[in-house]
Amino acid sequence: MLNVSHLTKKYNKFTANDNLTFMVSDGETAVLAGPNGAGKSTAIKCIAGLLRFNGEIEICGAKNKSVEAKRYLGYIPEIPAPFELLTVWEHMEFIARAYRLTDWEDRAKELMRRFELTDKRDKLGKELSKGMQQKISICCALVIDPKVVLFDEPFVGLDPHAIKELKAMLNEMKAKGTTIIISTHMLDSVDDIWDRVFIMMNGKIEAERSRKQVEESGENLEELFFGITESKTEREEEAE
Amino acid sequence: MNAIAYLLVKNVKNAALDTIRHPLKLMLYAFIIVSMIYGAVMGFTAGSGEGGSFLEGIIERSGGRLLSGAYLAVLYFISIPIMLKGLSSGTSFFSLSDVINMFVAPISERMILIYGVGRQLATMLILVITFSAYGGMMVNMFHIGLQDTFMLIFGIIIMLIMVQLVTLMIFCLASCHPVRAAVMKYIIYGMAFFAVGVVVIFMFANGINDENFFEAVSLPILEFVPIIGWMHGFVYGIITADTMKILIYGILLIAVVFLSLLTLIKTRLDFYEDVLSQAESYHEFRESIREGKISDKLMMGNREIKLRKLGINRGEGSTAIFFKHLREGGRRSRLMFFNMNTVVLILFSVVVSCGMRLAMPEIEPTIIYLAVTIILAYVQFFFSASGDWVKELTKPYIYLIPDGAVKKLVMAAATGLIKPFTDGIITYVIFGILTGGSFCDIVISALVYGSFGSVYIASNILAQRLVGIESSGGIFITFYMSVIVLTLLPGIIIGLVIMSSLAGVYGYMAATLLGFPVLIWNIIISAVIFFACRNLLNNTE
Repeated sequence: MLNVSHLTKKYNKFTANDNLTFMVSDGETAVLAGPNGAGKSTAIKCIAGLLRFNGEIEICGAKNKSVEAKRYLGYIPEIPAPFELLTVWEHMEFIARAYRLTDWEDRAKELMRRFELTDKRDKLGKELSKGMQQKISICCALVIDPKVVLFDEPFVGLDPHAIKELKAMLNEMKAKGTTIIISTHMLDSVDDIWDRVFIMMNGKIEAERSRKQVEESGENLEELFFGITESKTEREEEAE
Repeated sequence: MNAIAYLLVKNVKNAALDTIRHPLKLMLYAFIIVSMIYGAVMGFTAGSGEGGSFLEGIIERSGGRLLSGAYLAVLYFISIPIMLKGLSSGTSFFSLSDVINMFVAPISERMILIYGVGRQLATMLILVITFSAYGGMMVNMFHIGLQDTFMLIFGIIIMLIMVQLVTLMIFCLASCHPVRAAVMKYIIYGMAFFAVGVVVIFMFANGINDENFFEAVSLPILEFVPIIGWMHGFVYGIITADTMKILIYGILLIAVVFLSLLTLIKTRLDFYEDVLSQAESYHEFRESIREGKISDKLMMGNREIKLRKLGINRGEGSTAIFFKHLREGGRRSRLMFFNMNTVVLILFSVVVSCGMRLAMPEIEPTIIYLAVTIILAYVQFFFSASGDWVKELTKPYIYLIPDGAVKKLVMAAATGLIKPFTDGIITYVIFGILTGGSFCDIVISALVYGSFGSVYIASNILAQRLVGIESSGGIFITFYMSVIVLTLLPGIIIGLVIMSSLAGVYGYMAATLLGFPVLIWNIIISAVIFFACRNLLNNTE
């Protein structure tokens, strides 16, 4: 479970996240949607413990910067950052050792098989394409079998097969009770997997809807998104 | 206005406006220009110095031959690297934005190539203007006339233009032809080896002394080297009013110009593919440098790495970071802690030692140890910039690993802490064998050198903690340097006090007297900083 309470992140005078409060339950897939510069990635990085912030963030009941919380957390950054001089398999091994995992080999092999990395096992990070690097990034985050996973634009750079596999994995993780947070502005890519959506603009959550609420209103995710973001923009322009 | 002219005009105009809009940049440029003008004026107007220095004595004895050799060396220095660039797929001719925007535009390949080379020429001309400021120093040092000085500088400018044309020719001929490129590479290297070979053979044949060195570097045979030697012959022909030289070398150089232009016109150019991948990696390199990110991919280029050993195999939690670094280090250099840096240190120490022994034959070995340690510690500062732990901070994993912050920090820095100590031990043992000196001086100097590594890393950590990991490069470097000075100063002061108070009795081991307190202080202060900054890995900011 992820609990974010009054999260505020400022860069000097600029407020990137303004008093965000939300909760994502076990087995729930939440989407942080919003236009460029809405503060989605900043929020994800704050949750991952990479940025300083004001407020409270708890991962499975532990403060997000605690060692305990880190054990539960998987994070897939927007820009993959593999180690250039480690092979694909060594990335898995490194993460397994750093997280003190046991019996991780089969899971690592399965992840590599599903992302078609098996034949790239002994390729160095620096020899991989951007898409391959993104696959490693996903495998590294998922090999720890996290209870909470943060995806920052996970579908960018992936080939159709990897996108299909990742969606399938998201559904499997959800069924297992994993909390999933996806930051994206590619709404159609998450259309069939989301449970809760937070639409962000200018660092704030402008709207929060469950899938049930949206379906009952007869809208889809895209219509909801544009309905909120464009009406807000129009209101702001009129006010000016 | 055509596209290329428009691009050039806009680039120049926007660069000027950008400079005006950034007062600090403007002040820096103004400072550089004023310093250059001041240097030039002072050089031309100052006297040649009283009493005559060691260097002036050498110049006096050479009777102009040293200047001739030095001028040839300058011509080599500016020509060979540029010519070699003609073989490297025009990497430096084009930026990625040129490739993306111009290569797909309906502009002739020839025009684009001329634009690329022209841009390169403009950069080189700025360099020449900068160097011209030293013309005054040349007049002063070599006692040559103003007219001859201008002639020498004029020769360099002509050489730069010529070499760009030759580079164009090389590029046209070598592009898409690996065999031709290889042959040309050997020819270019051959030109350099020829000059070095002539000098070395002459000196071995006639005896190694300064007189024979002056004779060797001014041998007429060196002017037979195509383009570089010809330019030297042409310029010296004018200076010495040697009509034959002017005619022969002038005609040869004009022939090269015609040949280059003819090649450019006649060759069917198809260089886009070569340039594209090179420009992409060059762009990536520049961006990474701008963002202060040092990656192995950029440092090692496309060098093939043979995977002799696989797996990390050891370590749990934070210690996995250390063993990962060992595996990565083994792939950078087969001998993990012995690499090019170690070789550079050994060479530096030997050169400094030889220089000091030649200049001051009576000097105590302990003083040489002191001087070498100071110089090597300075050199180490540049090596420490690309440590494993610096690279680790640019990736998210270290922040996410569920382990204690201090342990993660120490393990991430461990290879960086060990390396200077191994470098120090290897360098000073070799140095000790070559130079002599006491066992104490060797051990303490090696350990002091190693402890400087700890201080550099600790200071870097402290600077990152104070100004933030993502702060701008300029602010960070200023802070980092200040922290280093403040961190080192107390140890050095204590060492100097102890050394001066005991110098009367133990003067023969000055390196140990100064080094030991510095070593103890460096280790204590580094440990304190590591502990105080243990929260660095709490976030990426």
